[in-house]
Amino acid sequence: MRELLKTRVAEMLREGRVDGVVGLIESHGEPLPYLFTADDTAALERISTGELQGRLAELIPGVVRYPLGKILTAVARKHPDKRFGVMCRACDERVVFGLFQNLQLDPDKVEILGLPCKEELARACSCPAPAPRSAIVDQPSREAWDRADLERIDAMALDERFAFWVEELGRCIKCYGCRNACPVCFCDVCTLQDDGLVKKGEIPAELPAFQLTRAWHMVGRCVDCGLCQEACPMDIPIRTIYRKVRSIVGELFDYFPGERDGGKSPLEQLGDGSFPIQ
Amino acid sequence: MTNSIAELEDAACIFIIGSNTTEAHPLVANRILRAKQKGAKLIVADPRKIHIAEFADIHLSHRLGSDVALINGIMHVILAEGWEAKDYIASRTEGFEALERVVRGYTPEKVSGITGVPAEQIRAVAEAYARSASSSIVYAMGITQHTTGVDNVKSLANLAMLCGRIGVECGGVNPLRGQNNVQGACDMGALPNVLPGYQKVTDEAARKKFEQAWGVALPSEVGLTVMKMMNGLHAGSVRALYVMGENPAMSDPNSHHVREALSRAELLVVQDITLTETTEYAHAVLPGVSFAEKDGTFTNTERRVQRVRKGIEPVGDSREDGWILCELSRRLGHAMELEPASELMDEIAGLTPSYGGMRYDRLEAFGLQWPCPDAEHPGTKYLHKDKFARGRGLFHAIEYQPPAEACDDEYPMQLTTGRSFVHFHTGTMTRRSPSLDEEQKDPFVQMHPEDAEAHGISPPGQVKVITRRGSISLEAKLSARIPKGMLFIPFHFAEAAANLLTIDALDPIAGIPEYKVCAARVERE
Amino acid sequence: MRYETIPTTCSYCGCGCEVLLQVLDGELIGVLPSKASPINEGSLCIKGWNLHEFVVSERRLRKPMLRKGGSLVETSWEEALDEVAGRLAKIKSESGPDSIAALSSAKCTNEENYLMQRFVRAAIGTNNVDHCARL
Repeated sequence: MRELLKTRVAEMLREGRVDGVVGLIESHGEPLPYLFTADDTAALERISTGELQGRLAELIPGVVRYPLGKILTAVARKHPDKRFGVMCRACDERVVFGLFQNLQLDPDKVEILGLPCKEELARACSCPAPAPRSAIVDQPSREAWDRADLERIDAMALDERFAFWVEELGRCIKCYGCRNACPVCFCDVCTLQDDGLVKKGEIPAELPAFQLTRAWHMVGRCVDCGLCQEACPMDIPIRTIYRKVRSIVGELFDYFPGERDGGKSPLEQLGDGSFPIQ
Repeated sequence: MTNSIAELEDAACIFIIGSNTTEAHPLVANRILRAKQKGAKLIVADPRKIHIAEFADIHLSHRLGSDVALINGIMHVILAEGWEAKDYIASRTEGFEALERVVRGYTPEKVSGITGVPAEQIRAVAEAYARSASSSIVYAMGITQHTTGVDNVKSLANLAMLCGRIGVECGGVNPLRGQNNVQGACDMGALPNVLPGYQKVTDEAARKKFEQAWGVALPSEVGLTVMKMMNGLHAGSVRALYVMGENPAMSDPNSHHVREALSRAELLVVQDITLTETTEYAHAVLPGVSFAEKDGTFTNTERRVQRVRKGIEPVGDSREDGWILCELSRRLGHAMELEPASELMDEIAGLTPSYGGMRYDRLEAFGLQWPCPDAEHPGTKYLHKDKFARGRGLFHAIEYQPPAEACDDEYPMQLTTGRSFVHFHTGTMTRRSPSLDEEQKDPFVQMHPEDAEAHGISPPGQVKVITRRGSISLEAKLSARIPKGMLFIPFHFAEAAANLLTIDALDPIAGIPEYKVCAARVERE
Repeated sequence: MRYETIPTTCSYCGCGCEVLLQVLDGELIGVLPSKASPINEGSLCIKGWNLHEFVVSERRLRKPMLRKGGSLVETSWEEALDEVAGRLAKIKSESGPDSIAALSSAKCTNEENYLMQRFVRAAIGTNNVDHCARL
């Protein structure tokens, strides 16, 4: 897969189809986010799919993922005339589609290099839709997401569920990592930092104001990539909250952000037309 | 730390004392809470019900500065119950009899009187610590910043040795270092009594090694500590002070005294990245660079030497701190080489036994933990395996001493200082960071609602906190997390600098000031 | 057009979290937690996530300064270094090396701390070197 990815990236850059490709490079012993460009072909030799090498592979299961869609957005904002490729697992692809849907990226200027995940990895990630649509290799069909976490919490009595979340969210140290790592959090002004909504300067983050505010903002937005939970230093199962939100929007509007190319968020259609937030 | 951060996750019992871990060391706290989720017993000893105490099986709210008594009480119970590690004590330690004699006097009931902790809690902690499969002690400045700081640390070492918890996986006595590279600064000999690798300046053989490497004769008398430098400036025996990347006007206790000392300096040179309270007194200000603009290494709290890598060019006409030092040294007739940084590490490795195997190519992915004496050594996960550095572990029989300043009618409350989760030290970095400044803009004093009521304070209200050294005005935040009779002020805010209030009484051995307790009173503004 | 991430170590507390500096066209635009770091495992605290902000602060010093007529005035490196070295040499020759003292820094690198204590011991000739280990 790595060889094929390298070939495809080299091709895109050589043919001038894109000016840069956002992906991962093996550097200083770990896979790191990087922008591959045509004048830097030596770097291609170190392109990485996020798999860890040597002793790190024993320490950390799975693959290393970074918010590549968010990085692409930052680079594309600075260079609006350039065209980009972006390495995407299925989760990253949902991110990029979600960013298209929310007008943060221009679909005409982005080419996706999809990497299918191995089955055990998709399962470990409880991936809702493990097969990228723009995969660079043929891929076997994959089972869709595992709702066990949601079902377990939905099955709890109200008191029990409340106690569960008070306990879990009580660990929050208000690092804002869930927001910072979120590739579809792109607002310039963040409501989580609004004095009127969430008390400042205290840990745990004000309960439930902080989490509810963030959950609301994930409505019609969350693509269920799970990067928020990976960033949580306190191992809080926050992804489950946003999954719940996503499942409600899915049931009401048959809309799952990022699961197809194109289309608009139902909230945007219902709204007053003030979208997109630029 | 004697042990490693990751080991905490698998400890069966964790005893935190004098560490507000989730606020000050969040990425250590997460390991502790993970251990808790795996079933570990968590004990938190802190006068305040700090955030991590919410998750504790036992929270001990002991009086400020009563740590030695508390620990002696715990050891008393362990010995009375016969829970001590008899084989370990016999084969690996010495001085046990003296310890036993002193500890005998600290019955839980007596200790309860000194600490305010119920005797039953002391018994419960003794049982959890002594009888769990593995037990780890975690502490920070709440233990060290006392006139009895050294006694406190030795007491924790006593407790750990008594139960055979040092030199084993998931055990140990683990100080959490407050600054990114305070460990490294010590390792590198930025101390008045030791050369790199804790080789004594008074040791002729050690000195000779460095004299050969540097080609110059070296002084053999122990130099001045920070507080003695300040006294020297007052007395005129110190005429010049060179300060690199520190802010003593704000960070040192009894700031009025320190600022007076700085103002008397004939030459004060400050090398820093921004103007600070200290540069107000400087004759020369030399702009150094941040960590993001240079190559090098830091050594973290678990002794891990890690790479620092340059990401951007120096801002403006600022220069790497090492370059500035080399330029000055050359002008004073002693040439030092800065480039390349990897060769400088080779020089350090050649002179510092515990860093002997540190080379940049070996540090690439996530560094190495010292001691790492040679190029093949894999680094050391935990210290004192099989034997202590000094041979046998030495018990110290220690009696409890009260804090330097007692409360009286004029100053009836106790003041303590510490960190907030948002800010860092004197705020030269965090308060220049818009996101952090927005999260917490203003200084505050935390106090118990009943104390506030007794003083007619209802928030949001400004109050005045007064000690024998000075007074500051700031907002009162009421919280039942703090015991009655106690005040807590974070020390990040220049406009209400906590260190105008703190006492400059020092630990007689380490010279550490008693930031954590002094007598105070509060008034409504 | 260039974007890269450089792994380095956080400069706040002593945990030693590994952060990635995000550099876009030579400008520091943010940080990310290293996903592979055995210490922070892809997480950071609030300070770590905002680590880049003080680096690019408007309040960073950009030129050396000397106090002239009561206030600090910007000057060249040559003048500043000559002045500082000259005054240190003068005080040393008049009152001996022990009349000079220096504070090194727990924020600086090992290499810089090594150079600082070498400078104080070898170039000035005193053991009056300490840092804020106790703070």
